[in-house]
Amino acid sequence: MDSVKGSFFSSVAKPLNSLYNSTDKNVTSREKLNFSVEGRGISILRLGTLLCFLAWAWVHFYWEGPYTVLIWNETTYAWAESLGYNWDEIVGTGANDGLFQTLLSQLYWGYLICAIMALSARKEKPLQLIVLCLGTLMMSVLMYAKYLKANSQLPMFVEHGGQMLMSALLASALYFGIKHKVTLTVAIIAFITTFAGHGCYAMGLWPTPSQFYGMTTIILGFEYETTTTFLRIAGILDFIVCVGILIPKTRWYCAIYATAWGLLTALARPVSGMSMELNYFGADQFLHEALTRAPHYLIPLFLVLLFKKQKNADQS
Amino acid sequence: MIKHKFVQTAILTFGLLLCSNNTLANKKNGRYKPVVPKVAKKDVICFALYTVHSNTLKLTAQLYPLSEYSNRNASLEIKKDGKWTEVAKTQVIEKGWTAPFRVENWDDSQTVAYRVRYDNDAIYEGTIRKNPKDKNEIIVAGFTGNSSHPMFGGDISRQDLVENVKKVDADVLFFSGDQVYDHYKHYAEWLKFGRDFGEIIKDRPTLCLPDDHDAGQPNLWGESGKVSTLGGAADGGYKQPGIYVQEVERAQTSHFPDPVDPGNIGQGIGVWFTNLNWGNIDFAIIEDRKFKTGPAGRVPKQGPRPDHIRNPEYDPASVDVKGAVLLGERQLNFLDKWTQNWKDANMKVVLSATIFCGGAHIHGSAKGRLHADMDSNGWPQTGRNRALETLRKGFAFHYAGDQHLATIFHHGVEEFRDSIYSFCVPSIANLYLRWWEPLEPGANRKPGAPSYTGDHLDGFANKVTNFAAANPEKMPSGNKLSTRAAGFGIVRFNTKSRDITMECWPRNVDISSPTAKQYTGWPKTISQFDNYSPLSWEVSGNLTFDVNNPVIQLIDNESNEILYTLRIKGKNYALKLPKGKNFTLKAGVDTPSKVISKSVTVGGSDQTISLK
Repeated sequence: MDSVKGSFFSSVAKPLNSLYNSTDKNVTSREKLNFSVEGRGISILRLGTLLCFLAWAWVHFYWEGPYTVLIWNETTYAWAESLGYNWDEIVGTGANDGLFQTLLSQLYWGYLICAIMALSARKEKPLQLIVLCLGTLMMSVLMYAKYLKANSQLPMFVEHGGQMLMSALLASALYFGIKHKVTLTVAIIAFITTFAGHGCYAMGLWPTPSQFYGMTTIILGFEYETTTTFLRIAGILDFIVCVGILIPKTRWYCAIYATAWGLLTALARPVSGMSMELNYFGADQFLHEALTRAPHYLIPLFLVLLFKKQKNADQS
Repeated sequence: MIKHKFVQTAILTFGLLLCSNNTLANKKNGRYKPVVPKVAKKDVICFALYTVHSNTLKLTAQLYPLSEYSNRNASLEIKKDGKWTEVAKTQVIEKGWTAPFRVENWDDSQTVAYRVRYDNDAIYEGTIRKNPKDKNEIIVAGFTGNSSHPMFGGDISRQDLVENVKKVDADVLFFSGDQVYDHYKHYAEWLKFGRDFGEIIKDRPTLCLPDDHDAGQPNLWGESGKVSTLGGAADGGYKQPGIYVQEVERAQTSHFPDPVDPGNIGQGIGVWFTNLNWGNIDFAIIEDRKFKTGPAGRVPKQGPRPDHIRNPEYDPASVDVKGAVLLGERQLNFLDKWTQNWKDANMKVVLSATIFCGGAHIHGSAKGRLHADMDSNGWPQTGRNRALETLRKGFAFHYAGDQHLATIFHHGVEEFRDSIYSFCVPSIANLYLRWWEPLEPGANRKPGAPSYTGDHLDGFANKVTNFAAANPEKMPSGNKLSTRAAGFGIVRFNTKSRDITMECWPRNVDISSPTAKQYTGWPKTISQFDNYSPLSWEVSGNLTFDVNNPVIQLIDNESNEILYTLRIKGKNYALKLPKGKNFTLKAGVDTPSKVISKSVTVGGSDQTISLK
């Protein structure tokens, strides 16, 4: 038992220690700097993956995932039946849960495992990296369900690009390194999809989600017209940073703005919803909303670090 | 074996989620996307809704966008002695393009042709009916859940409903809610609603009660207009900006009789709860969502959603939290006065979005059994009981919808069947299926009645007695309206015999055909007096009056509370009362102003009363 315990904790602790361990006597100061940046970059991605998957695990465990739209149709039932499940097994007898409900109630394990992998994954452990990639697949299914639930609005899928790609980005950073073009490409795609998706909504290219109005009204106290103007401007800025992140001279500033804006919009959920009058102050209802959105500010922060490093390197 | 099963289910989970959904597989099953069609200037008036109450006509014309025209005025004309005469002018409200007209001192004793004019190009004609006071039977056609999504049959024409309404020549149309399902484009879908039903709406009083989907959200606990930010809106309040909700309510309710207590709630959202007196029936139109408290964070978590209770072992009292509101004091005060006022009324009917109980057990099928749903009016229980205690004082019959499942319930507060009846009509097109399927057979059923009927406790431990449920088929059935238990209701109120007959029809049948069949359990006829006739009450004595249909009122001498107020049928009334209590009896021709006796009890003697 001890050995199992030791093995688990060491697998988690070792990569964490490595993030801060830059005192190796054999490395030069330049290498130390690189190593420190690499470590910090990885730690940002680990944190983003951890928070996002933990929060989704919480949602699946404590609440439920938005899968009803996927399972509630004839084709699904026909397929399940073709695999040998009868009607009662699928939907339950009425007195108990059916197959779908049972399966959905266990999905949190997948998110929890990915959250643990966010801490423990290392380049030398390909299985853990594969699990992280499967996390992206799992998150994609989740976001596809959200997309269908939102009347098949494309931005609903696109805006979750950061959350979907977060664990794959970590896997890529661990496997290839944070500066590798694969890692950078994944990070840029995650960044652009997240902000372009939100921008589409904020600009009103698709109906602006009512929560955007609600949060703005509650936190800033704006009237409808002012809120609309505010959201349109925010939407335009979303698109500007999507372009700016591709331009060497502006990308660092865009990443900084995106970090701040991503953090503020993530925090806006609990800030607008939590109240002293609610059980647990409403934390169980709203807090995870900020955590699932961790990639919205931590991927830009990762790019801030990366572009800052490259900026410094270019100058030197 | 276990391993094999695990692998199989894992493959199944991901495979099903990714590949098997209808939307991906089949484009025609996609969602309806409402658009505002471009129409010629002569067609810019889409439809018109009206009511007449207390000699005031209120009519709202719904227009297509007038953006390309400069004129913002519209006029209302009626045909008098063969000539069109203008009776009202109004300015078109650009947000939602409505033209609300108001004509006071309206003579409701005549049927009159009307037309709405915009410039000289657009004319829309209809009929303002005379108040059908001379009819013995008032027919109210009831609808709910006008889902537009093709994957659930929402794209199937509504012409069958229109034709059937014409066949029965309904006196009033009642749309209980969810006339519009698009959460962002109410205006576009409201115009479609008008194109679908305008043909019957233009010629009779119509009441459309905006519910959750109309207001742009999946469920609605309005909490007096607060802002909701939680997905699912269980934190209470409105998800859409107040300005959006105002436009929705203007479109659907600005033709209602004036609100009885017109103060705005939060975000500038108005209220429309009021009453409509028509054909000797007094209809209370109430808003059972607008003031209701949201459950998220207020009640202990009992299921996968803040508003769902899946734990059958939970303590129902634990969710009946202090301070949770259902109808709210303003509406309860109104209803209290309404039950006492029997002027021009032989019967009372309350119209609202949904019924005062958890009227379903299985929701959406794949989700399995839900013990209780706080979107229903079964919660909060205290608010539910207060509502029923108030409504039964006027022997009000409750006509509602929203459940996507047609039911008849006799509600109980202190004991089974001691309160009013409700009829929840089936959806026009059923987006989300529900079943009334209690695990235990109901008590005190009629011989041969299905086991789901009879006395039950709902998921909130409310006492309910079921008489009928139009459960859909167990297998999901795509866009087939018939298997999804879609349909509509007809209620025939006989103001002479005081009988209430509930009919529940499936879609796409000709209800005038002798072979047409209603859903199992319908038709059902009850008496108006069944709406407050507890089994425990006993006979006090017979009252005989010297006038027809007087109004009587009983007041509890100990609490000074009104037991009930009622316009009796004819000159004789067999008085029944709770045991062990002493009442004051009052009576009058139209108002119970005369004290008849200050001590009326069970086992009292017969009385002859003069009111002339």
